[in-house]
Amino acid sequence: MATDNANASGFGEVSRLRGVVFEYLSLGASVIGLVALGVLLVYVTIDAFDLANASPEWLLTYFLTLVVPFLAFCLYSVSDPAVTRRSLAALGGGLVAVAALFTAIETFLVAIPRLSWQLAYLFVVAMPVTAYLTYVGSRGRVGAVGFGLVGRLVGGIAIGLALGTLFLVFDPLVWFLAYTLGVVPAAALYAYGRWRSADRASTAAVPVGLLGVVAAVFLRGVVTTYPSDLIIYIWTLAVPIAVAGERVVADRSSRIAAAAVGGVPLAVAIAGGFLAGGLGVPGPTALLVLVTVGVPTAVYVHRTIDEGDGVVGLALPVLLVGGALVGALVVEAWGVPAPDPWLDVGYVTEAPSSTAVEAGLYPAIVGSVIIIALVAVLSFVLGVGTSVFLEEYMPESGVLGSLTRLLQVNIANLAAIPSVVYGLLGLGLFANLLGFGLGTAVTASLTLSLLILPITIISAQEAIRSVPDDLRRGSDAMGATRWQTTKNVVLPEAFPGILTGTILALGRAIGETAPLIMIGAATTVFSAPDSLFSRFSAMPMQIYAWANYPQAEFRYGVVAAGVITLLIILIGMNGTAILLRNRAERGT
Amino acid sequence: MTDSTESPDLQRRSGLRRLKEGTYGGLFAACAAITLLTTVAIFVTLLSDAVVFFQEIPITEFLTGTNWSPNPAGGGQAFGIIPLLIGTLVVTVTAACIALPVGTLTAIYLSEYATPNARSILKPLLEILAGIPTVVYGYFALVYITPALKATLFPSMSTFNALSASIMVGIMTIPMVSSISEDAMSAVPDDLRQAGYGLGATKFEVSTGIVVPASISGIASSYILAVSRAIGETMIVVVAMGAQARMPAVQEAAFGIPFVNPADVLLESGMTITVAMVQIAGGDLTGGSIPYDSMFALGLTLFVVTLVMNVISDIIAQRYREEY
Repeated sequence: MATDNANASGFGEVSRLRGVVFEYLSLGASVIGLVALGVLLVYVTIDAFDLANASPEWLLTYFLTLVVPFLAFCLYSVSDPAVTRRSLAALGGGLVAVAALFTAIETFLVAIPRLSWQLAYLFVVAMPVTAYLTYVGSRGRVGAVGFGLVGRLVGGIAIGLALGTLFLVFDPLVWFLAYTLGVVPAAALYAYGRWRSADRASTAAVPVGLLGVVAAVFLRGVVTTYPSDLIIYIWTLAVPIAVAGERVVADRSSRIAAAAVGGVPLAVAIAGGFLAGGLGVPGPTALLVLVTVGVPTAVYVHRTIDEGDGVVGLALPVLLVGGALVGALVVEAWGVPAPDPWLDVGYVTEAPSSTAVEAGLYPAIVGSVIIIALVAVLSFVLGVGTSVFLEEYMPESGVLGSLTRLLQVNIANLAAIPSVVYGLLGLGLFANLLGFGLGTAVTASLTLSLLILPITIISAQEAIRSVPDDLRRGSDAMGATRWQTTKNVVLPEAFPGILTGTILALGRAIGETAPLIMIGAATTVFSAPDSLFSRFSAMPMQIYAWANYPQAEFRYGVVAAGVITLLIILIGMNGTAILLRNRAERGT
Repeated sequence: MTDSTESPDLQRRSGLRRLKEGTYGGLFAACAAITLLTTVAIFVTLLSDAVVFFQEIPITEFLTGTNWSPNPAGGGQAFGIIPLLIGTLVVTVTAACIALPVGTLTAIYLSEYATPNARSILKPLLEILAGIPTVVYGYFALVYITPALKATLFPSMSTFNALSASIMVGIMTIPMVSSISEDAMSAVPDDLRQAGYGLGATKFEVSTGIVVPASISGIASSYILAVSRAIGETMIVVVAMGAQARMPAVQEAAFGIPFVNPADVLLESGMTITVAMVQIAGGDLTGGSIPYDSMFALGLTLFVVTLVMNVISDIIAQRYREEY
């Protein structure tokens, strides 16, 4: 290179400028998409919560009562002076920098719409610092305990509400009969078989259970008197959950502790279920939420206290709720003008309306929950079945090997077909040919299941492939059959990976809109669906419908709130998936 | 083991057990068969209605017609796909102008420049771009991007336009390009880089002169996949681009060369194949009408185009891959 124009020393000089420019150009390219998305998310958050109208005093109050205690908790968990110094420097320096920069831009360049320097500080400095401290804080024992507890509380509420939602569509009376006649005898047989090492009893559990379910469907039309819904939920859901919690604790602790962990939340939940009616809350929903929150929380608290490490972390929920309450009190007493968020309790519990103030997302949320529940079951079963078949049953060479390759190529191609084409499949096959009806929840679930099936299969295959072959050979050497190896060795080992992949794929399904339009899903329904064959709407459908409204309150308020609701659910699902994966990686 | 009668029955091939094994094997095979059946079902569903459509509307008229109006008020339907192809082409090309360079640079940064720490943060963050629901992107384009562009660069822009939609499609497809390209670049053996450094090349020269050419098949296949994704993208264009199937006005320029003003295409509303399907789906869906069947003809077009692109991408990745 340098031979022609070599200088006296024999080496050419190379300009570094081009390389440096290229490096920063590529760095810029890597983050430009993220920055664009970040700015858009900031604006949609501001719109959804009406933060543009939040007074600086209001922001300051909540910053002091909610954010500062949380940051202090994280710093306490880290207990590293260097981190503390760095965070305080970032918070303080960021304050000065953002205020100065923002004022400069506003004065000399352009006015930035709907953004004040306080909000800019909140999003550009306070949120990243909080995220960073949450991350490092969660690695400390105190922080891990605190976030674990908050996660169980939030997750419990979500699961309880989702369970309650499912019973809007599925007949609780059939469930009651199926549980009593099928699940209970089967579980008893299985437990007896394990206890007495009587193989036959365990083997009989599955057919007995199936028989019970069939009998339940048959008897539903015959039996006329049933206990009240609340009793059904206590018997079929609250009691088993409490028993499961009791069993978990009994494995490692005393009987009294186990009974308390199972019994206390159960008693509270039953009492709550009966008293809820007075507060205007449906009793069954209150019972379900209390039990799905209470039992895991009790198990977790018991374990933490038992281990005696990081017990202080259990105070985190109190800190957060207390901070929010104090903030609300101060705002009330001080008379500070508060923003009027579009995304509030009314928004998620009320039906759509033609006026922006009254519009709600409730029917669409219920529709989405029901579809996703069905899609989860279908795509999990089909995805696991296919991936087990491809990985465990099919050879890689020979005639069958080329069939395996054909299936693989086919799955890869299915993953690349546009979703709108899947919508046509649902319309032509499920809705019109098979007669499941236009825009029903069944049609939508089947269509979306096929849509995400390739993604589920591919991730499940990866999870199964990552199970070490030694384990399989070991199981084979013990005389296990192929199914026994799969059931006892491969699937338990691959389960966290499969679950992670399925949840991520469900995240894709919950945001899909085009296939729903093609199968004729309603853009707006005013009541929650009451059966699988009734017309429904889903969150993205409702967002699509509202985005077409010309009024500014819809464009910049109602839709923004819908977008944030959808994104929060997505983040919750993907966060769960990532936590599961991390936990599985730590375990191995 | 000397006496065969005393040897334990290691196989335990009892009938019940064999039945159980066979049942589970059969169930798994049935699951796998469903994936094949899905492909067949898609093809048959699309074809059967498309055939009905082509009996009414000759395929030549469909492919060469310049007017798309399936449900006109005054009667006189027209099913020419050309305006839809133009709309799809505009969105795809504009999105590719964003996604391909940005995605490639991202891949180069991730594979050549980024520290392991930065890579472990950036890669999952980039995947978020592909995980946001597309209807949300469409909303962003309509409500934030268009007003911002209108206020700053293009005051004449209409509320529904191709440009904002294309920008969002481009941003959405960045991670497709970057993740597949980055995999290809990471697969380039380090020996090649070291050899380059040994010859006195700078990091820039190694990245652009050695790594990129060595991984060009992976990069090319990622481009094709991203473009095929952009062609099939529905909700962003439905929400942000409007639904007006139109042929751009061809102007006579100097020297008699006809040309199309890009502003006329990008700043105005248009219609892609996917938008046309969604628009018909907003109406009667019980079947039996020509517009209903035309959706399947459009779907078949889309299916064939994306399938062909995937096969090409596969062939490129397989055949032109450098084996190290």
